[in-house]
Amino acid sequence: MTRDWWKHLILILGVIVVIAPFYMMVSYSFKSPGEIDRGEGGFFGRQEMMVDERCVKLRDPSRDDIAAAMDRFPGQTDAAIRTALVAEAEADCSMRPVVFNYSKAFTEAPLLRYLLNGVIVTASIFLIQVVVALPAAYALAKLKFWGRETVFGLVLFCLLIPVHAIALPLYIMLTKLGLTNSYAALVVPWTISVFGIFLMRQFFMTVPDDLIDAARMDGMSELAIVWRVMLPTAVPALMAFAIFSVVAHWNDYFWPRIVISGNRDLFTPPLGLREFKGDADGSFFGPMMATATVIVTPLIVAFLIAQKRFIEGITLSGMK
Amino acid sequence: MAGLKIENITKRFGETDVLKGVSLDIADGEFLSLVGPSGCGKSTLLRIIAGLEEQSSGEIYIGGAPVAGRRAADRNLSMVFQSYALYPHLSVAENIAVPLKMRRLSPLQRLPVLGRFMPGMRHQAAEIGTEITHAAKMLEIAHLLDRKPGQLSGGQRQRVALGRALVRDPTAFLLDEPLSNLDAKLRVQTRAEIAQLHRRLEATFIYVTHDQVEAMTMSDRIAVMMGGRILQCAAPDVVYDDPDTIEVAEFIGSPKINIVPVEVAETGEICLLDRKLDLLAQGRGKGVMSLGLRPEALRLAGEDAPIKGHVVHSENLGAELFVQIDAAGLGHPLTFRAAPRDRQALALGAPVGLAFDAAQALLFGADGLRVRDVRHHLPTQAEVA
Repeated sequence: MTRDWWKHLILILGVIVVIAPFYMMVSYSFKSPGEIDRGEGGFFGRQEMMVDERCVKLRDPSRDDIAAAMDRFPGQTDAAIRTALVAEAEADCSMRPVVFNYSKAFTEAPLLRYLLNGVIVTASIFLIQVVVALPAAYALAKLKFWGRETVFGLVLFCLLIPVHAIALPLYIMLTKLGLTNSYAALVVPWTISVFGIFLMRQFFMTVPDDLIDAARMDGMSELAIVWRVMLPTAVPALMAFAIFSVVAHWNDYFWPRIVISGNRDLFTPPLGLREFKGDADGSFFGPMMATATVIVTPLIVAFLIAQKRFIEGITLSGMK
Repeated sequence: MAGLKIENITKRFGETDVLKGVSLDIADGEFLSLVGPSGCGKSTLLRIIAGLEEQSSGEIYIGGAPVAGRRAADRNLSMVFQSYALYPHLSVAENIAVPLKMRRLSPLQRLPVLGRFMPGMRHQAAEIGTEITHAAKMLEIAHLLDRKPGQLSGGQRQRVALGRALVRDPTAFLLDEPLSNLDAKLRVQTRAEIAQLHRRLEATFIYVTHDQVEAMTMSDRIAVMMGGRILQCAAPDVVYDDPDTIEVAEFIGSPKINIVPVEVAETGEICLLDRKLDLLAQGRGKGVMSLGLRPEALRLAGEDAPIKGHVVHSENLGAELFVQIDAAGLGHPLTFRAAPRDRQALALGAPVGLAFDAAQALLFGADGLRVRDVRHHLPTQAEVA
């Protein structure tokens, strides 16, 4: 044992704290409701066949069903046919808990639609943020103009304003413009990212002036310099910003909950979780956790692909 | 191709005067070096010529036309930067292509993916391709065209930067210390190559450097800058042999020129260490002046030498020997260039006598300006005794 064991101990404890909810989420998405209630079954649950009560109830045979089934069960009483039909329904409606949870996640709510909405919203936010932030950051980092320091001071000042503080005025403005319940309501308030401007400005400060002068000598306009020279050199910083931006807006529950009321076609993935919030008859934790797992999977995949860049980005910015 | 004329350029950064009225005439096809210590304003002057910086006053004419207010891109000058400033995300070929593309292609044709399908693009692309190949062959970088700048050595990057500069056939080349990031050996080699390139292209070159050796070896003319002014602008041998001021004499030449104080009598006779020299500076009155002696102007002499001292340090360069001699009565040691055959006599601590030919001595007044009206008079027998 090295003498640094206590550092590892603290780190391991930290990891447990971070991982535990995630572990619960994935584990619940595998288990049957009974196992979740009783807290048993380990990580994967026992995966015994379970019967979906609602499915059976929906197929509860009516008089017509029984009459129609007469041919298949010749010479039997109605009660016996009914029992046989219920048994058939139960057989059809029984499945492994994992299948139950994930199929519920996709059938109970239009989860694919939510995922698509999530992609549309996060991608538009990020693209517009880049279109705004890059020229702004370039001007703040490399152009000399009167009042530049003041403008940069304002950018820093805006970093201090929490979104929740201005949520209400924003909501009122969007309502007056009649934009609530639209993609615009989800996208527009986030299009100017002062954090993005700040991050890119700090990165552009490190780009040598000679490179920009060379581009000017080569005949590029200032905007051409932004898109043809600064953007390609700033890819690592841009990746870091992309991760901050995409993670924040993909996972955002607060803002979509405010501006999207009713129209399920505009729900983003986190809003989809509410579908399984049972009111009287208890919550469907299994399908709910399956939905949560489906929602975070794209981010985890993206993280694994961009892991190296992600770490680079964080050391570059070292904040937020 | 055209000449450049710089007229009374000044530049202020806040309270500091960086350039204090600089005027220069650069002929078509000339290789002019701006040389001076760091902070003398030479790079600022180059950036003003390029249009990257605006002058506070004065005017620049390229090919006879004033260029005030014209963007850097529209002056048709090309520049090679100290850091090379290659686009890190583009290959060598793409780097060289940038100035051509920016000039010849329409904005639509420059679009990232769609541009390829714009009308006339194929012909243009082929033309640009030929010119890149031509430039690459001239600089012997044809085999590197597909690489990224990050995969190149310093010397190769330097060639790519030159390629990007020369591919579009500019009015003049501006070079801002292009050799200072290379190692010593490569610098000597590239120096010769740039000089050859200049002869071959017959274009105007303006070359900024703090290294007087580069300026001496490559240029048609040298402009020595100090404190925001051009002190002297002349051919290298003139600047070396016949400097206008003591600063120029001290800056040009390696090792540095020896400056020794001399006394001038009322009669104009000049005394070094109480010994009369065969020089006369008449009509200047009594006072102290400075005498500049190049290391090669000194020679070993016997007992009756005017300067006597002993060896404190010596540097053997193989073909020649630079010896530091601490002379009695002079504040600092003198540098003397000796032939290798004298090495035995110049051991550390050995007593040495030094003499010089008065014709090779440079006299400077108390104000640092050169005193040219010097007469040589042969000493009479009586004086020598």
